[in-house]
Amino acid sequence: MRVLFFAQIRQAIHTDSVELTTGEVDVAQFWQTLNALYPMVAEYQSRVRLARNGEFVGNDARFTNADEIALIPPVSGG
Amino acid sequence: MDTFVALSSEPLENDPALREPASDQNGAVVEFKGVVRREEAGRPVAALEYEAYQTMAETMMRRIAVELGAFHPCDHVLILHRVGIVPVGEAAIIVRATAKHRAEAFAFVSGFMDRLKQDVPIWKVRSVPINEKPGSAQNKTTNHPQPPGFSEVLAIVDASCQPLPTERVSLAQAAGRVLRETITAPEDQPAFPRSAVDGVALLLDDRSQDFLIVDEIRAGDWHPRQLVPGETVRISTGGALPCEDLQVVMIEDVELSGNRCRVKNRSIETHIRVQGEDVRRDELLLAPGTVLTSGAISLLAGIGVTEPLVTRQPQIVHFTTGDELVSAQRQPGPGQIRDSNTPLVAAFFQQLGLVVVHCHLPEKFDQAKTELARHAAEIAAADILVFSGGASVGAHDHTPKLLEMLGFELKIRGTRLRPGKPLLFASSGPRIAFGLPGNPLAHFVGLLGFVRAAIAKLAGTTAPGLQSAVLTAPLEAGGNPRETLWPASLSLRDGRLSAEPLRWSNSGDLVTLARTNGLILLVPGTDLLERSTKVNVLPCALFP
Repeated sequence: MRVLFFAQIRQAIHTDSVELTTGEVDVAQFWQTLNALYPMVAEYQSRVRLARNGEFVGNDARFTNADEIALIPPVSGG
Repeated sequence: MDTFVALSSEPLENDPALREPASDQNGAVVEFKGVVRREEAGRPVAALEYEAYQTMAETMMRRIAVELGAFHPCDHVLILHRVGIVPVGEAAIIVRATAKHRAEAFAFVSGFMDRLKQDVPIWKVRSVPINEKPGSAQNKTTNHPQPPGFSEVLAIVDASCQPLPTERVSLAQAAGRVLRETITAPEDQPAFPRSAVDGVALLLDDRSQDFLIVDEIRAGDWHPRQLVPGETVRISTGGALPCEDLQVVMIEDVELSGNRCRVKNRSIETHIRVQGEDVRRDELLLAPGTVLTSGAISLLAGIGVTEPLVTRQPQIVHFTTGDELVSAQRQPGPGQIRDSNTPLVAAFFQQLGLVVVHCHLPEKFDQAKTELARHAAEIAAADILVFSGGASVGAHDHTPKLLEMLGFELKIRGTRLRPGKPLLFASSGPRIAFGLPGNPLAHFVGLLGFVRAAIAKLAGTTAPGLQSAVLTAPLEAGGNPRETLWPASLSLRDGRLSAEPLRWSNSGDLVTLARTNGLILLVPGTDLLERSTKVNVLPCALFP
């Protein structure tokens, strides 16, 4: 799966995206994988919403390798 | 409802979509324009920088417009949001609603702005300070391909490295190596029920007070027998229990006299380590990719694995170039300097448990070629070539030519990271080569930043990445427009990783280098960072 990082998360880890091969995972497993790779992302976890293929998803979501997952920190457009 | 949504990096005021003529069916056109102010969070700014998750942002804006349009019917809505750098006075957003009457149009615009600020993935990512000219430094980055920065170099290096083949080594050779097989428990641990204490073993439901001691079992003994009520065996810690349904009473709780004993105190605790209590048979003990620590090696020995499968060690050849270098034992002549890079490189690899073959290349290209031919065997066997100096494009710097001659393809020729601008990276099949700029600090940055990541990938693991640390002193970075790895002395203070920024005047500063055990990654344009600011650091070791 492609994982996209934006704004302060992108700036914190100096990466705008990463390709992960996880098989099918739930939200908790997704965070676990990501936090292992980028420990600094854990700090943002409580404030971040997840989007799968451009749609916000809840904590019951499941992700596969074909998905594009975005970490959406609090937005500040306008 | 006719809906137009767009993100744009150009001034919105000039957007052709705004010039659409108003229809004669509508009595109300409400336009909201969000304009960048001179001040952001109490500080004067020249511009704001916006970032968007473009596809999702456009989809969300369109969806919000449709949802609001159901409540506040408009004939036409137009939404433009700017991304990138937006100078003071220019619009970051324009929302225009055209409807029959003003109430719907006002309600739409106001409702849209509320929803935008909750759900549309667009961010203000930076205030551009007043002294940085908007449109100069930043816009160039989008128009011209720049040399790669820190994360891009890492990505290119990572993509060019594959884990090396495996080999079996004895446990004596295994420390620090990366395991490449799955280790599972061959049997339950403990393999049989054992006593956890020194004491006497007796039947769990035997309520007698006085017992006849019928045997003594030490660790390593194997004396199976069925106890009957009134019988007990003396047993040592680790001793195998003689039968089932027992309890061990600690020696402190019994009174011994000859071959008899009296139990003074009986607790409900059995003091028995049951079979499989630590580990069940076939349970995963060590996964591939585990770095073998002394504890892991002890575990392997404990289950009889004497030759674990690990990644083969990489073969490394290090080249120095430059006729001005003399070895450290010698007194440098006029215009010469001692070679501090060879010991630096050797020590860096030594700390990773690796040995390096050194080779000095004369500055004249033909002589260098002859020297390479002399070392052809080592070079052919090498997994990693490291060149010190000779990486820039001057007439004397022929590392790129030599690499091409050796069949390597240059993948990186310069980075925008400082120090270390003339960095080279090349690969030839599974083999990789680095060209590190000649000065020692740039060397250290190249080794810690990139060579270590490559070695970890070759070994089948990952190097420790950026960690979060707290500055123990202000860092005056001077607003340099380049991404920077700043030397630091890292330590653990009150359980937090702390970074003391070191004075850094030039890349050849060995005094600073001697105290450096980590690097602080600074984004371009970083000016002054106050004490206690959180920074990203690349540590030499995770536990300094």
